[in-house]
Amino acid sequence: MSARRLWPIVARREFVERARDRGFQVSTAITVLLLVGVIVISAVFNRPTSFDLVVVGEGSDALGQQVRAAADALGIEVSVHELADEAEARQAVDAGDADAAVVEAGRIVVRAEPPDQLVGLIQAVSVRERSRQALIGAGLSSEQVDAALAQSPLPVDALEPVNAESRETATVAFVGVLLLYGQLFAYGYWVAAGVVEEKSSRVVEVLLATLRPSHLLRGKILGIGLLGLAQLLLLALVGLFASSAVGTLEFPSGAIATVGLVLVWFVLGFFFYATMFAVAGSIVTRQEDLQTTMTPLTILIVGSFFIGLSATSNPDSTLAVVASLLPFSSPLVMPTRIALGDAATWEVVASIAISVAATAALIPLATKIYSRALLRPGRVRIRQVLRAGGA
Amino acid sequence: MTGPSAVADAFEFVGLVRRFGEVVALDDVSFSVAAGEMVGFVGPNGAGKTTAMRIALGLLQADAGAVRWRGRAVDAETRRRFGYMPEERGLYPKMRVLDQLVYLARLHGLEPGDARSQAERMTELLGVGDRARDRAESLSLGNQQRVQLAAALVHRPEVLILDEPFSGLDPVGVDVLSAILRRQADDGAPVVFSSHQLELVERLCESVVMIDRGRIVASGRIADLRARDTRRLVRVEVAGASDGWLERVAGTRVLEPLPDGAIVELDGASESDVLDAARAAGSVRHFSVVRPSLPEIFRREVAR
Repeated sequence: MSARRLWPIVARREFVERARDRGFQVSTAITVLLLVGVIVISAVFNRPTSFDLVVVGEGSDALGQQVRAAADALGIEVSVHELADEAEARQAVDAGDADAAVVEAGRIVVRAEPPDQLVGLIQAVSVRERSRQALIGAGLSSEQVDAALAQSPLPVDALEPVNAESRETATVAFVGVLLLYGQLFAYGYWVAAGVVEEKSSRVVEVLLATLRPSHLLRGKILGIGLLGLAQLLLLALVGLFASSAVGTLEFPSGAIATVGLVLVWFVLGFFFYATMFAVAGSIVTRQEDLQTTMTPLTILIVGSFFIGLSATSNPDSTLAVVASLLPFSSPLVMPTRIALGDAATWEVVASIAISVAATAALIPLATKIYSRALLRPGRVRIRQVLRAGGA
Repeated sequence: MTGPSAVADAFEFVGLVRRFGEVVALDDVSFSVAAGEMVGFVGPNGAGKTTAMRIALGLLQADAGAVRWRGRAVDAETRRRFGYMPEERGLYPKMRVLDQLVYLARLHGLEPGDARSQAERMTELLGVGDRARDRAESLSLGNQQRVQLAAALVHRPEVLILDEPFSGLDPVGVDVLSAILRRQADDGAPVVFSSHQLELVERLCESVVMIDRGRIVASGRIADLRARDTRRLVRVEVAGASDGWLERVAGTRVLEPLPDGAIVELDGASESDVLDAARAAGSVRHFSVVRPSLPEIFRREVAR
């Protein structure tokens, strides 16, 4: 076997050992549960309004049917059930089987807090019906009365019309930014902590007797990145599946496209950040010191995260446009701008090109620092490592 | 032990030079280890043993000189067939013992099935088979050391380079390790190990290399080194003597203090001069003429 095939062995170890880790499995399960929970809860709050109405006595059923028709026009569902007597109707309302009862076309029975929409509809229909009877009683013909009462509702002119699809896409993009932020941070940290583990346990000397530092670095980043991608894919599938199961996903093709963008930019962002996280890990020997060397990276990711969040509501701001082009912030900003249809093609191409170029430029430098710092104990200064000759 | 001239089946250090800033860690270090030979690499702390071994494994670059195996300069591909045990032991603390051995065997080029059976074989051989599924950090230090050795041997190395393999081992562990190294050598591998335990080196190895401040100060068959050392030494132990009686015997030098006595080099005095002085000082428990052994040779070569 030739030396260039060693990094897949390293990558495999990184992937398998971490996937096998109990902490990883538990945190993945918790994330999946949280995601499903959020989707289910939001579905409960957003479900289309529907009411059950029971009717008793003469004229009540006709009134109920008019309520149903009026509700239908407003996109509200009302099912009407006729019951034998008032006692039964009160029981149904009391048990919560019905939201309201209409008794003898003259009284409304509710349990405690009246369901405003339903009661308002019943009142409106009832008032109209009683007005009609009164006008007929006053000598107008029923045709005259109907003509007078058949008025169309006032038109509503929205200043900012809501596009349901773009609203849904913005929500998916928001969740995407949240996930990307979590993944970039968690898996970047894992790269750094993995490097420190090898250094502090000194197993790195055993490893470097068999393979080159660049292969160790490559295997580590690829293995951990692949696991991050797999986890992200799992979360995306669970999210898509759960939200379409509870019926909150009205435009699945848009959501799938957004998920695809998130996955692509995870790959771009992860490679960019992972090389720097590896450097942050290689220049310390103790896990406690890692926080310090990771601080610049932490600031970059958190800052980009906030820009990414603001971009979900304001994708065409100058800040969002600039941030979607810079390699450290583009992973958290560009997917949103594309999903919301705001990014020009040249911007997307430029963003990817800049990200790839920056990573390509970073890798040799990072590999150099990493290789030279690995066998040095204690806190290593980057400038000093770069100035010194070979290991 | 042979000279640095090319021997087909030998592992050779040829003219190694390495500086760290102003410090010359290795200064023209040359020696070779024949296939099937076990060589002890001895020297005081900081003499350059670890540096030389790290260069052999490609962990450090030499400023000059070369490392050769079977007459050819070693490259990354050759080194993967070496077995190495660093002085700073290193295992993945959270990885299971068997898994890390399989992993290292794979990195050394073994196919997956072979790697697994070798890993199992080595854990059995080193008596940690029942801990193979445990995480390394849960093992005692002694058992971790055995796993470390298994890691150096798991890929059937052609050459063994071990930095202080015996340090931290109990006497049983020393015996187990000695037997395993002996067998590796008997199977045809050149074996080099560094150690501060000179008696052990003398017992295990036919040859020795002594390094001090980056220079080889003595090397060769231990028997030859001893034969070449013409110093006359006596070992004397006296009960009830006052301190310093030996220093007052003219023409002697204390080489190695012992409880109630010392190993003394005769430099002008005769054996009976020492014996007379001992008798006068107290009750003589032991008196013998000794041949210089490795510790005495070591002390002479690295005398400061």
